[in-house]
Amino acid sequence: MVILDPPPAPASEGGREPIPPTSSDPPDGGLHRSRREWLRYLTKALALVPALIPTLFLIMIVVALFSLAGFGVTFSLSPFRFVVHPPYNFGFGFFGSKWNPSPAPGYPAQWGTLVFIVGSFLTAVPALFLSMAIGLGIAIASTVYLPRFVSAWLDPFVDLLAGIPSVVYGIWAFVVIAPIFGTLLNPWAAAHLAFIPGFGGPPGQATGVGLPITIFVLTLMSLPITTLLIRDALRSIPRDLWESGLALGATRWEVVRKISIRHGSRGILSAAFLGFGRAFGETVAVAMVLGVNAAYPINFYGSTGTIAATIFSLLDSAYGNSQFLAALSEMAIVLLAISLAVNIAGRRFISSIISYEVPGL
Amino acid sequence: MMTTETSTPAQDVVMSVQHLNVLAAGKKILDDVSIDFRPRSLTAVIGPSGCGKTTFIRCLNRMVEITPGLKVDGTVLYLGQDIYAPGVNPVLVRRRVGMVFQRPTVFPMSVFENVAFGLRLVHTEEGEIDQQVTEALTRAGLWEEVKGDLDRSALSLSGGQQQRLCIARALAVRPRIILLDEPTSALDPMATQRVEATMQRLKEDFILILVTHNVGQAARVSDRVAFLHSGRLIEVGDTAAILERPRDPLTEQFITGRFT
Amino acid sequence: MVLANASEARRSPEDILYQESLRTKWRLGFDRVIGWLLPLLFIVAILPIADLVYYVGSRALPTLTFQVLTSTSLTQTDALGVPIVSTAEIMVFATLLAVAFGIFGGVATAEYLSERMAGWVRMTANLLVGLPSVTLGYFGYFTFVLYFGWGLSYIAAVVTLAFFMTPYIFRTADLAFTSVPRPIREAAFGSGATGPQYIVRVATPIAFPQVLNGIFLAMAIGVGETAPIVLTTTLSTILPTSIYSPVSFLTALIWENFAQPKGSPLIDLAFQAAFLLIITVIALNIVVRLISYNFQKRIQGLYQ
Repeated sequence: MVILDPPPAPASEGGREPIPPTSSDPPDGGLHRSRREWLRYLTKALALVPALIPTLFLIMIVVALFSLAGFGVTFSLSPFRFVVHPPYNFGFGFFGSKWNPSPAPGYPAQWGTLVFIVGSFLTAVPALFLSMAIGLGIAIASTVYLPRFVSAWLDPFVDLLAGIPSVVYGIWAFVVIAPIFGTLLNPWAAAHLAFIPGFGGPPGQATGVGLPITIFVLTLMSLPITTLLIRDALRSIPRDLWESGLALGATRWEVVRKISIRHGSRGILSAAFLGFGRAFGETVAVAMVLGVNAAYPINFYGSTGTIAATIFSLLDSAYGNSQFLAALSEMAIVLLAISLAVNIAGRRFISSIISYEVPGL
Repeated sequence: MMTTETSTPAQDVVMSVQHLNVLAAGKKILDDVSIDFRPRSLTAVIGPSGCGKTTFIRCLNRMVEITPGLKVDGTVLYLGQDIYAPGVNPVLVRRRVGMVFQRPTVFPMSVFENVAFGLRLVHTEEGEIDQQVTEALTRAGLWEEVKGDLDRSALSLSGGQQQRLCIARALAVRPRIILLDEPTSALDPMATQRVEATMQRLKEDFILILVTHNVGQAARVSDRVAFLHSGRLIEVGDTAAILERPRDPLTEQFITGRFT
Repeated sequence: MVLANASEARRSPEDILYQESLRTKWRLGFDRVIGWLLPLLFIVAILPIADLVYYVGSRALPTLTFQVLTSTSLTQTDALGVPIVSTAEIMVFATLLAVAFGIFGGVATAEYLSERMAGWVRMTANLLVGLPSVTLGYFGYFTFVLYFGWGLSYIAAVVTLAFFMTPYIFRTADLAFTSVPRPIREAAFGSGATGPQYIVRVATPIAFPQVLNGIFLAMAIGVGETAPIVLTTTLSTILPTSIYSPVSFLTALIWENFAQPKGSPLIDLAFQAAFLLIITVIALNIVVRLISYNFQKRIQGLYQ
């Protein structure tokens, strides 16, 4: 006769209990029972190790960055050295504006990375606005105005945007789109939109490298994320609620604007955070269309640098130069901190499962 | 179709349904339904599940077209105008024919904003909105309970209060006809009683068309009862007449509960 | 306010259904216009990607011969043989590693962890996925190139890429095993199966297609990554001779050559590499969709 222990009650509604104990011996099996229990605890403990892999990775990354920032001449793993030891603290004039890693002999190198932090925001924020606006429009069109069979078709196309590798975006934008900006759009805007502050002045190089093309590329790259999340947020409105709005004599637009968006506001906020995170952390494409220019752009068409692109581009030349490496690591820590903050904030309101559909989310 | 109503002059009719048919994938959901609605009445539409009562009332404010795949055929006249005529936009129809749904569907806003929603669409001035919100809440029997704090979130109200809020919301735009689709089926008996009391008050000023599966409720609040079965209007008449002396055997079976 | 009977009909202007007030006309018109304008935004999203695919294809295809694909010439102006094979090699090893880490981790999380702990672990995995690629590349540089002392090498690239791909596989494995229907899970334990027996005999066949999909998707992402490779290895024109030697990778090739002077054959090479990458990603996505489709059909009965 088999005696079974009942599985433990679920921890939460819809939660699932871990693998339950089993026993095919009578409960008072004495020695046999304790050995089986011991085995069970062992498997549970062993299972903990692979399960903690992501956590382990994250910790390793954090430690690595901090260690590199605290790098002395020796390869020692002292994560907090930078806090204690000048000049490797978060100093170096870290938030100063001058970045000059290879000055003339006799002058000290300068490590002001504020330029790059500002540059990251200068490129990511406009891209976020554009991508939220377009994403909102597409999501509304898809959930409200287009018939279901049409949007079932078009939605995957937008998701496809996320599957293209960044380098491919980069090279296409650099070779094809940037010259259009450089020779056509930027000069036109500089001539005709000069009344808007920041849009006047020299229109930048003919190659098109600069803020406009960067914002263009970043918008495209964060578009699939914002569109997917906003679409999901709008779809979550219960049918009854939607129909109640219509039954009061509102047009579809009015129901969407006044009710749906309010109802899905959390999801839309998440879309903003995660879309921003994507734009802020984009590395290769930005390195290709913006380059690294340690200066604030003088107007809308100028070029600057972002944290991610700078670390990526300059790591080669930093090899062997421990100060240089430390500065880059501190930039990487800032990047990591902002990324983590934005991701944590963004994920609070969405169910993590939908996010699996878009790569990089 | 058999009726046992007393007849009144035709120009009194506010809404007239004539030979209404609704098809879904070839199957008839409503079959040649004709009925008139006059002022100051509460008509209860009863029938077994799936008989088409919900589809029927959704035809009266053109909500039926939101469900894909349904084909509507026939005439529905509001004050002599066919609401399905090509020049008529459903938005206009829905302002004259309001609807309350089965589950309370309050918007995620304050109590005040919920009721004011329909008013704001047509841009009434603030003072007027205030006054009409108060009036609607009073008519719905909710004023006393919310007048202390109109700005609190509508989601903080109880189920019964929310449903009365939905009624107030529908009243605020001053329709002539209010459709109610099983408004108390999600409420407890206390809340149900209050909503029924509200309905009885409202029928003095509006035309109410109530879909209910609860024959007792129909008996309590309605003047008229229309019995639908498998999409056909079997019998219409004064409540007392229908419920005590139904003419059609189907009606009798339903009322006495021999089938659901 | 009382609207008593029909003799008062048409007193309210709103009762005339054909006559819209000016404001209502505006509202209705706006709704209609928006209904046409917003769908046009799809074009804003789709046009660039269509142009991208078209341009890359039209620039790469004319000169993309079998010769080019297989040539291992050292001059590297028209030889993709080495990059292709290198990329494939790196992908194979990185995927194997990532699969090992990801599947063990995902299954362990799905089956052995309490709901609370699992929540934390999943959050960590999600955060890892959202990290910028340069962060992982930089991490790889420090840990493997410097700290472990492997130098800029083949093995550093493989392991860094594996770290990059692991969270994706971890998530899908976790999801796949969590989605095994409860009745089946409980029936298995009710029949006296042990944990490992359940996992291997019952859950794996059910979760397998989803996990496979996850692996392919992770590969599609991994093959398109640049930073983890470029920061951990130097580029070479020959196949790697040892695990410490330099390697080649398609994305790195694009990165190296995109800014060459106009007209240089290296740019064409870069576009050819880009074309191959797009094809690979599309192919992997198609495979994933096919698997999903088959999976749906097979699994109809299970989820009743």
